[in-house]
Amino acid sequence: MAMRHHHNFNTKKQKPKNWSTTVKRIWDYMAERKGQLILVFLMIIGSSAFGLLGPFLIGVAIDKYIVPGKMEGLPLLLAAFIAVYLLNSVSIFLQNYWMIGVAQHTVYKMRSQLFRTFHRLPISYFEKRQHGELMSRITNDIDNVSSTLNSSFIQIVSSVLTLVGTVSVMLWLSPLLTALTLIIVPLLFWGMKWITSRTGPLYKQMQKNTGELNGYIEEIISGQRIVKSFSQEKRVSAEFMEKNEKLKQSGYWSQTFSGFIPKLMNMLNNLSFAIIAGMGGYLALKGMITIGVIVIFAEYSRQFTRPLNELANQFNTLLSAVAGAERVFEILDEEKEESDEITAVDVKELSGNVEFQDVSFSYDKEGDTVANVSFTASKGQMTALVGPTGAGKTTLFNLLSRFYDPDEGSILFDGKPSISIKRESLRSHMAVVLQDPFLFQGTIRENIRYGRLEASDEEVEQAAVMANAHSFIMKLPEQYETVLKQEGGGISQGQRQLLSIARAMLADPSILLLDEATSSIDTITELKIQDALKRLFQGRTSFVIAHRLNTIQRADQIIVLHDGTIAEKGTHDELLCMKGHYYDLYQNQISERSG
Amino acid sequence: MQKVLALLKPYRLWVVGALLLMLTELAVELLQPLIMAKIIDEGILKRDLDTVFYWGAIMLGIALAAFAAGIINSFVAAHVSQHYGYDLRKLLFDKIQSFSFADFNKFASSSLITRMTNDVTQVQNLVFMSLRIMMRAPLIIVGGVILSLVVNMQLSLALLLTVPLLLLFLVAVMKKAGQLFSIVQKKLDKVNNVMQENLAGMKLIKAFIRRKHEGNRFHKANESLMNDTVSSLRLVEMTTPILLFIMNIAVMVILWFGSMDVSSGEIKAGEVVAIVNYATRITTVLSIFSFIIMAFSRAKASSERINEVLMSETEMKDGNRSDKVIAEGAVTFENVSFQYPDTDEVVIRDLSFSIAAGETVAVLGATGSGKTSMFQLIPRLYDTTDGTVKIDGTDVRDMEMERLRSEIGYVPQEALLFTGSIKENIRWGNETASMEEIISAAKDAQIHETVQKLPQQYETRVGQKGVNLSGGQKQRLSIARALVRRPKILLLDDSTSALDLTTEAALLQALKKHQCTTIIITQKISTAIQADKIMLLEDSILTAAGTHEELLGESVLYQRIAASQYGEEAVYGNASSS
Repeated sequence: MAMRHHHNFNTKKQKPKNWSTTVKRIWDYMAERKGQLILVFLMIIGSSAFGLLGPFLIGVAIDKYIVPGKMEGLPLLLAAFIAVYLLNSVSIFLQNYWMIGVAQHTVYKMRSQLFRTFHRLPISYFEKRQHGELMSRITNDIDNVSSTLNSSFIQIVSSVLTLVGTVSVMLWLSPLLTALTLIIVPLLFWGMKWITSRTGPLYKQMQKNTGELNGYIEEIISGQRIVKSFSQEKRVSAEFMEKNEKLKQSGYWSQTFSGFIPKLMNMLNNLSFAIIAGMGGYLALKGMITIGVIVIFAEYSRQFTRPLNELANQFNTLLSAVAGAERVFEILDEEKEESDEITAVDVKELSGNVEFQDVSFSYDKEGDTVANVSFTASKGQMTALVGPTGAGKTTLFNLLSRFYDPDEGSILFDGKPSISIKRESLRSHMAVVLQDPFLFQGTIRENIRYGRLEASDEEVEQAAVMANAHSFIMKLPEQYETVLKQEGGGISQGQRQLLSIARAMLADPSILLLDEATSSIDTITELKIQDALKRLFQGRTSFVIAHRLNTIQRADQIIVLHDGTIAEKGTHDELLCMKGHYYDLYQNQISERSG
Repeated sequence: MQKVLALLKPYRLWVVGALLLMLTELAVELLQPLIMAKIIDEGILKRDLDTVFYWGAIMLGIALAAFAAGIINSFVAAHVSQHYGYDLRKLLFDKIQSFSFADFNKFASSSLITRMTNDVTQVQNLVFMSLRIMMRAPLIIVGGVILSLVVNMQLSLALLLTVPLLLLFLVAVMKKAGQLFSIVQKKLDKVNNVMQENLAGMKLIKAFIRRKHEGNRFHKANESLMNDTVSSLRLVEMTTPILLFIMNIAVMVILWFGSMDVSSGEIKAGEVVAIVNYATRITTVLSIFSFIIMAFSRAKASSERINEVLMSETEMKDGNRSDKVIAEGAVTFENVSFQYPDTDEVVIRDLSFSIAAGETVAVLGATGSGKTSMFQLIPRLYDTTDGTVKIDGTDVRDMEMERLRSEIGYVPQEALLFTGSIKENIRWGNETASMEEIISAAKDAQIHETVQKLPQQYETRVGQKGVNLSGGQKQRLSIARALVRRPKILLLDDSTSALDLTTEAALLQALKKHQCTTIIITQKISTAIQADKIMLLEDSILTAAGTHEELLGESVLYQRIAASQYGEEAVYGNASSS
């Protein structure tokens, strides 16, 4: 009796590519609990044997006591019965008990490893993939492995054992009747083949149609506000009905054909029952077997069609679980972020002198994303990066925080090349405020404290005050204890950004990276953080990407990037005098104002 | 549950047919032990071979009959369940399409999606399973007990007593298990949640080196998930062995009394065999009973969720003045107040203004000052709480919604594209648009050049599985989608935020040749400056309106915004020169 977590209807049933290695790897996890696993095996053998013994004893009881109507000795036999059944139940219970432990431990390990792997993958891995896809691996695929290990494993092993056991005992009791009973096996295979050769393609079609329909539903419902605003309800409904109709058609045929399977099994069960009753009766009359044997056969025949059926059922689950595990392993095998160079060291203090020396870098190693970038940012200076999208501003940030390392040239921190400093050590001296102010589910306090975990409540609030977040936080019903949800959660995008600035404040870094941090803050809110930012920049080396030139006019140097190279460099005033790119950008703002 | 199942009504004949076919199968199954008893008692024990073969042949015959019934049942059940699923999805989808914005606030879109996909499938599967096998389990139990009573009343008392007790036991365990599993589900959600957050915030986590912190969080959640899963699974797995044991004891009792009765001649050996056979069949069925209870409770929960959607009342009534269309595009707000349904906060307070046809107006204001809400009142995505919104002098509530919205081009803050080609996405705004019109809209939206550079140009697929566009590119495409409608009123909700200044300037320039009333929500003075009029919203109230120069003179807030974006000298210098 397997408890299944609830599954998506359109879970992909892919075939595993490398069956044996994947199974071996799952096995390795399970083997960590070898002792329990051996016990499980013993218990399965036990339960299969006791399961066979039960009907056998019934047959004996019928032959020796019921048919002749004899009572002496029966109590002894019944006592044996009870012992057998008790042992049977106990071994079933124990095999499940231990197997659940092994299975859940396996799943636990897989989840942990996956989690750890995610943290060791380079950031580019996440930029290339959608989180949804990765999440589905964790949820569906691991869930699949979990439920398969919980139920299918025991069922498969015990099915095989029971199958072998019943056939052996049947052969021993009466080879002839066994042969007659086994007539149904070729029928079963032939029938199953006939059905599955039809359901296979039908299922694929249905999966495809389900996928299309669900995808459409998802897209339209998420975009419902657009649908409404453009009053496209009718058109959308028509398209939906088309897809709905398709699913109905393919669903009808695949459901019908797959519905044949249990019916076939049933029929074969009935058939073998009839054969056993009829032919068994004949043989009994001839004195070749006893009534008890007929009864045993009647019970056994069901015991061996059931495992056959189960094996067929479990096979699909097993396939999809192995395929799921394979996808998980694929992630585990991804190339990890290079570990720090052996010579890399921890840096306790970083005063914040940064120098780019002829840095070139490309993401795909074809054509440089940034080329020959050289500049110096001294301690406490503010460096602004300006340029159109794709000019390489974000790339420079990624290089600064060692998400990537330069292909050529080097970045020096207090004179030390970045690759000689451990990644984590380097990052511990930096704080970033990203374009998308990512916040975690949790209270506002927890989110700000993320900047420095050991900060006291006062320090957290102090940081919020400095980031001008304190006043809006105090207006919230739960103030600092307000729980933020992933989507929205009662605070605006701009307010989220203020929180992420407070988080950076609290981190108190010597180098600060602001990636378009103010783009989603409206001007009025932005006014509030200007002096806070000034305070934040004080004494820190800061790098800022901003589209609004006004926010960077007081920068110590402005670097204008163009196609990955430095086009211009200087202060606001110097750059204006040069009448180059920066001048154009600035004039653009001015001319718009007067236009 | 009944309401959702009421959709089965049109198929009731099919349902009855499927159930009758299933009963046929069932009858065969239940008759078998009886025939077996006959073979033993009248055939083997009386040494009558003809009787053995006679009943054997009958068994074979009815087995084939049952098979035929089963096959037909497959067709019928699939017919019912597929049509049912189809109808249910249609009903839901149409209902959702009729939702107003206010209704959407009642359900998260992710929850609507699950309701339409997973929940419908759950209910549909329940229908299919019920018609084919589910009903069988209880019927076999009842039928088995009854028939064994018919065979021999006294001997089957053991069954009559144990079976109901076991059923009660099962239900109790399932109930407990249900509670445990909902805890497990919550723990699982928690684990997935941490994982999801880590994926989404990986860059931040790496930047703040919080791997260990996150690792601990995950480890805790993961471990507690494991422990709870183990203990609830163990509880559930306990039931089968207990069930088996008790049923087997019942069989023992039958055998014991059976052999006593046989020796005293009160009952025939075959009858004992038959009752034992019924008992073992019931045992088998009992063990799948818990599965059925589970499927049932899951489908019940699903159908309740579906029902919630179907039962929710849509509040907005369509207007009936079919003669009214937007001819000019003049927008007037008369003492409009607004708060979102089921909230206390007033988002717009007593707002009055009018915008002449063809005018361009910029709206400035802090986050939360009510700009977007104001926008949504114009295409009547929400109704005002107080006051009226008029277009060309007609209350929007009087206009037919479809007509009203067909003249408005709305570009929301978040640029959302649909799966399909770029061409299709732009054409979304106007189905009848020709390729020239699409290109012209794309040119005006400053996206044409970008599209030209894509591998398949206008045929390039976007959205799911399509190319990744940047935020600014998406914004421009959604502007093109609005422009291709040739709207009388164009609403841009901060839709140029991700554009760089040069592109934005070109876009605004291109918009000028469109003959439409344009309202732009923006953060940037540089954008606002280009408008005929600027409105300044502050804390749900319109605090100032006028041209750039007027506002520079009148509004302190506006001065401060301008100063922050241009530097003080520029602002005051400019103000004095005008």
